Amino acid sequence: METLQLININKYFGTGTSRVHVLKDINFTAKKGEVNLVIGPSGSGKSTFLTIAGGLQTPTDGSVQLEGDMLKNMSSKQRDALRLNSIGFVLQSYSLVPYLTVKEQFKLVKKVKKQNNLTNLSLTQLMEKLGIEDLVNKYPGELSGGQNQRVAIARALYTKPDILLADEPTAALDSERVAEVGQIFQDLAREQNTAVIIVTHDLRLINFADNVYKIMDGQMTLENDMKLAQ
Amino acid sequence: MFLSLKEIKKEKFRYGLIIGMIVLIGYLIFILTSLAMGLANQNTDAINSWNINSVALNKDANTSLTQSLITNDNAKNAKLTKNEAYIGQASVVVKKSGLTKESAQFLGLKPNQFIAQNLKLSSGHKIQKTNQVVVDEQFKNDGYQLGDKIKFNSESQNYTIVGFIKNAKLNIAPVVYGNISNWKNIKNLNGPFAASAIVSKNAKFSMKDDQVKTYSISTFISKLPGYSAQNSTFTFMIAFLMIISLIVIAVFLYILTIQKIQNYAVLRAQGIPAKTLVNATISQSVILVVSGLFIATILTGITAFAMPNAVPMSFNIPILSAVGLGLILTGLLGSLIPIKIILNVDPVSVIGG
Ligand SMILES: Nc1ncnc2c1ncn2[C@@H]1O[C@H](COP(=O)(O)OP(=O)(O)OP(=O)(O)O)[C@@H](O)[C@H]1O
Ligand SMILES: [Mg+2]
Repeated sequence: METLQLININKYFGTGTSRVHVLKDINFTAKKGEVNLVIGPSGSGKSTFLTIAGGLQTPTDGSVQLEGDMLKNMSSKQRDALRLNSIGFVLQSYSLVPYLTVKEQFKLVKKVKKQNNLTNLSLTQLMEKLGIEDLVNKYPGELSGGQNQRVAIARALYTKPDILLADEPTAALDSERVAEVGQIFQDLAREQNTAVIIVTHDLRLINFADNVYKIMDGQMTLENDMKLAQ
Repeated sequence: MFLSLKEIKKEKFRYGLIIGMIVLIGYLIFILTSLAMGLANQNTDAINSWNINSVALNKDANTSLTQSLITNDNAKNAKLTKNEAYIGQASVVVKKSGLTKESAQFLGLKPNQFIAQNLKLSSGHKIQKTNQVVVDEQFKNDGYQLGDKIKFNSESQNYTIVGFIKNAKLNIAPVVYGNISNWKNIKNLNGPFAASAIVSKNAKFSMKDDQVKTYSISTFISKLPGYSAQNSTFTFMIAFLMIISLIVIAVFLYILTIQKIQNYAVLRAQGIPAKTLVNATISQSVILVVSGLFIATILTGITAFAMPNAVPMSFNIPILSAVGLGLILTGLLGSLIPIKIILNVDPVSVIGG
């Protein structure tokens, strides 16, 4: 079932001669239970694509639908609520609040989104799977880059989102951890019926993807052949 | 509340410094306010203790008790009731051999009128005859005792201290209450003068004499020498300190917020409402100001306890509370600028790598 749909998306930045066409006629759908990987070089428009998909910015034209709802028809409050309830973000860095311990990061979410989060048991299981169960009382400043990233992933999954959007989630991880995180994204997609969208230039994640897209100069193409090549 | 408390807990040193600043500002403002109140009271304590509502002075005296003289002619038309009383003012230097000289305000009273009748003595008895005086307790602190014989200026006449009274101050000088029959001698007046002024509990009191004018008690007090100037000096000092504390709090919160923009952007991206972040900033500034003021209050209390009597300070709880409340409002005002920044945080800015 399609949970996220981007229809004829175009995005321009700037005006006049400095106007750049960053996303060109993008059509994209993500189904629940599937991992979608969007691969592209720096400056190709990956982050722009992801922020539009997550309702953080609006496309110049085209529309974004989440579970059949048009994002552009929503108020900013409704979009806040949507991001809190239905979307999980994993960012490359700065994902955690520096003055909250790992445990408190989840507590903060719970204070705002009171229901329908992971149970304590499943959170513990998730953290064990991510290898961060012993870090609950540490501050982000006391964690390595990779540990930070794994906590951020747990944080994003805590709200049981319909879609998970990740921007370069493996940038700080070594190969072994990349494989584990890739597996976690895949398991999560399967077990929680979540649509996972990862933008990255990390080809090591290809094996865990159901669909691989390539983005180049703002144009997106489906490249599932890349999986076989790996 | 959650976010602000956790942040203060993590960054103890940083927030300790800010609270320290607020403690100092609060303490300074509290002490200044107490000093201002203390001085103001030393100007007016005696007058306030009489509970009067109007003062009749010579119309050419420029509302000054010192300059005013009321003649027997003026006085004879006045219908005096039990609500009116004569006051004869003279500035004196009180002397007793072996003790320090003291500048004081001699106020001559008629023993049967309400001021003399209502004096609340802390020891001794009221004035019964001429050559008897009741004096402010400052004299007691300086070694004068009941029964002591004192002299005024270079006069040879002896006066006997028959009573002490607390907080009898006029124009920052201790008051010597005496018999009005002694007043003319002390002031070196030759002529048919009755008093310096006639005071009344009745706001509408009038002497029915075109040389005498009746003033309301508030006008009279505001025209006491130096009183208004002193009060406005203090008011300005306190107001400027408030403004400075506003700037200090605003600048600190601004810097702290700027440092947190990236996190706030992430939290906004994750759907945490701006309201939660705004609440965190407001509650943080309230926590900082309130805990700062709490410590400042304790320091002020200790100071009040330790201050020698000679320092004119008055710790007026309602006024100090109002000042404290003003500082809290100042803190809230100071958090408005950062709030604007938070509301404008762009979550996109943190995504992109
Ligand atoms: N707010 C903006 N204003 C102007 N140009 C922008 C803005 N955001 C992005 N761009 C431009 O759009 C293009 C795509 O940016 P984007 O951040 O999506 O790239 P990316 O694929 O995520 O790159 P990277 O791998 O380095 O993160 C870049 O050329 C960038 O300069
Ligand atoms: Mg990017």
